[in-house]
Amino acid sequence: MADTKVLPWPAVPILKPEEVYAGLSDQAKEYPLFLESICRQEHNFEKPEALSRVRVLDCTTSMMIGHWCSSQLSELGAEVIQVEPPGGDPLRKLTPFGRKEYMFKDKESGEECGAQFLHEMRNKFSVTMNLETEQGRELLKQLAVQVDVIIENSPPGQWDSWGIGYRQLRELNPRLIYCWVGQRGQWGPLKDKPGMLDPVAQSACGFVHGTGDPKEFGGQPTRSALWMADHVGGSAAAMGILAALLYRENVSGEGQFVEATSAEAIIRILDYSWAWYSMDGSIRPRFGNWDLAINIYAVNPCKDGYMMVGGGHDRLWYRIWRTVGDANPEVEEDILGDPHLREVADRLAYNQQVKTYTMLCEWLKDNSRSEAEAKLGKQQVASGGVLYVNEVAEYPHFKYRGHVAETDSPHYGKILYGTTPYQQHKTPGRLKWLGRPTGYDNQDIYRRLLGFTRDDFARLQQAKVI
Amino acid sequence: MATTATKNGQSFEEFCQETFNPKKEFTKPEALKGYRVLSCTQYILGPSCASYLAELGAEVIKIEAPRRGEAMRHTTPFNEPFLYPLSRWVPERGTGLGFVGANPNEYFMSLDFHRPEAQAILKKLAAKSDVFVENYRPGTFDRWGIGYRQLKEINPRLVYCWLGGFGGWGPGRVRASYDILGQSQGGNFGMTGKQEIFGGAPAKHTIWLADYWGGMMGATQILAALYYRDKISGEGTFTEYSQVHGVTRQLEYALPLYGRHGITRERWGNWDTQLCVHGIIMCGKSSYPKSENPQEAEEGYIMVSAYSDQDFARLCHTVGDSSLATKYAKADVRIKAQSQMEIYPALEKWAADKTKEQVAQILDAANIINQPVWNSKEVANQPHFQQRGAVRWLDDPTYGDLLHQGPAYHLSHTPARLKWALKPVGADNEYILGKLAGLSAEEIKRLEEQECI
Repeated sequence: MADTKVLPWPAVPILKPEEVYAGLSDQAKEYPLFLESICRQEHNFEKPEALSRVRVLDCTTSMMIGHWCSSQLSELGAEVIQVEPPGGDPLRKLTPFGRKEYMFKDKESGEECGAQFLHEMRNKFSVTMNLETEQGRELLKQLAVQVDVIIENSPPGQWDSWGIGYRQLRELNPRLIYCWVGQRGQWGPLKDKPGMLDPVAQSACGFVHGTGDPKEFGGQPTRSALWMADHVGGSAAAMGILAALLYRENVSGEGQFVEATSAEAIIRILDYSWAWYSMDGSIRPRFGNWDLAINIYAVNPCKDGYMMVGGGHDRLWYRIWRTVGDANPEVEEDILGDPHLREVADRLAYNQQVKTYTMLCEWLKDNSRSEAEAKLGKQQVASGGVLYVNEVAEYPHFKYRGHVAETDSPHYGKILYGTTPYQQHKTPGRLKWLGRPTGYDNQDIYRRLLGFTRDDFARLQQAKVI
Repeated sequence: MATTATKNGQSFEEFCQETFNPKKEFTKPEALKGYRVLSCTQYILGPSCASYLAELGAEVIKIEAPRRGEAMRHTTPFNEPFLYPLSRWVPERGTGLGFVGANPNEYFMSLDFHRPEAQAILKKLAAKSDVFVENYRPGTFDRWGIGYRQLKEINPRLVYCWLGGFGGWGPGRVRASYDILGQSQGGNFGMTGKQEIFGGAPAKHTIWLADYWGGMMGATQILAALYYRDKISGEGTFTEYSQVHGVTRQLEYALPLYGRHGITRERWGNWDTQLCVHGIIMCGKSSYPKSENPQEAEEGYIMVSAYSDQDFARLCHTVGDSSLATKYAKADVRIKAQSQMEIYPALEKWAADKTKEQVAQILDAANIINQPVWNSKEVANQPHFQQRGAVRWLDDPTYGDLLHQGPAYHLSHTPARLKWALKPVGADNEYILGKLAGLSAEEIKRLEEQECI
């Protein structure tokens, strides 16, 4: 595998502004060019960072929600110190199907790191600390008075019983924002039910049951390929932390206790599931790649893959069928002549959706994703193909805007990655580095924050504290 | 805060119950009290972004088209449930449930942005606001004279947040987008679902994930911008959130793997590419065989996780499959694709004569991580989520009793909270226009007759 020749990215050159805006009048290109001038990522390092005065200690381990949370803060400029157990976070060892050849190797030490962990270790320092030892917990207390935020994910009450929980640390540092993250919560009847990683949370909140095709279409409950609930839960935690930070700065001068869970974050965004259930007892069903509340708004098979077409209201409905009618007039005629499809509201009924998409597929089967998109795009209908990762990485719009980029790591060489979507005029998010070997920053952090000497390092390393 | 002071003998759980008690939310201050947000948004991405700030106590003013409001009010599952009335002008229609969850705690105002008089009103509001959220096509507000460039002249402290599909510059800038398109093109859609060889196809995440979660990303960035403004610069900014960009950020190892090895991450169904056992299996027996609802009558499913060697050995012992235990004792053997294709079917065979609750009980006794796949009814009835306020009854001032989701996270001192689910279109016209635009009752009446509001 290592010998396989892989084309450098990008395989196709990135478009230039003069190509993108060719043929447009000065007036038409004025606004997009203004946006480029204030939002382009190449200007990031000319600008300050929103959270550069905030220091965060991410003590989470073996769990993605905490790493995702601290990534949001580190992308926005916070100094995030990732505390790992000696030997590193077990997530470093994960790699698809156990394939070691997919891991990224530190040029100096030869230490290997899985790509998923690496992708979230952005802008973070790596420090090792053994919190299972008394001495390790002493170090944590010393650091706790110098940080704004601590994030942890130990079993409920573990840190409290160790004397380093919220109740104890707030005595040492009343300004501390202390955040606990997990799958279901640190209190309540399910607090002791184990489970660290998604899709535990996806399964517990109604998401998995509602995703995938209905049974009569041969489908079953389906998880997200991603540890998606951990991403959403991590984002929720970051929101909570920033709200607490604002309140501390503006009003109270005090920190507080934040708790976020992957399951509850998804419950928050499971739209109308709860209201609907309370109104008539409905249980959110699976509806595959169609939508319960909007028609047309779906992904269906096409000539070379799967194609999204969307247009819920009348204006777009007629444009879609006009486009279809160019090649399949009988389809357009049938749809427009059907009295049960005339009203927007009537189209939502189950049978009408089956008919709508069956007819649409008559047209889609003869069109590739790009052909369908070009034809529908002319009518200003939102549409696009389902893209696979190789296509995402090479998609002209994404490359032009830098949604995907390559970084040259001093440790791991070139890495392709998804850039931060925190694009902004004054204080944009950014990538400074992607990943560090385990404990790479021990020297820097322990000397800078705790005044360690050579002797301290030797003593604590020997005692397996760091 | 005196109420959360450590008391002798109080267990950690008791402390948490008291500290995060959802019933005490209204005894505590709000984190964003005093911030004002204008939300000129429709669908989910923009509205949800503003609503997260409203949960935190910001005064969020949602501005919609007069009379019928925004498009999302006209979406509801199978066109059945509605909340009446839609507005005082259209009492015979209701707001669809698609609107629920994206607009809690907000004030509702109507305004026809096309008209110069409306634009003048909007400028008056923007002069007194901290945050401006909009998701019209890029450049539309700029053309109308109410975009970032114009509003920052009126109010340099304004944080102007645009959210949308593809962003306002680059070759795809003119493309319209919806959540499902963001999922499709961002990359998470193609990876989710069963692989082709198992008869599967790419699968949509059932929620409007790229919208609702994208809104969180937008709100996170707004909070950071407010922090920087208040603490350091005194100046606002312009943020541009592309939902398709957000989805691409989420792809975990997929991009590094593709960049280094040219390998495209494929679908792997309900199993996991990096851990085994860590996946969802079918339990052959329904938990509610007599139910008339197909959602309940179908087989059950359960998520099982036993990826360490010890846990896997215990799982095999529990299942009574010693050959599996021997053959796949080692994690690096277990994780291989071929191994997974043997292990999960063996587990499903064992579970074929059990309900998900029976499987959970057996695995709990063996201390093996599991989580039954709960449907929305089962989630709504979990004492755990009820006690924590994740799902709660709301006595809505306009619509009465509704079950509603709580905030996405808990704060001890300044908890986010739920005040109302939504209001009819333009319900707060008089209040907001009187308070912030200085309009008299007579002027408001005239604007109403002209359908400017």
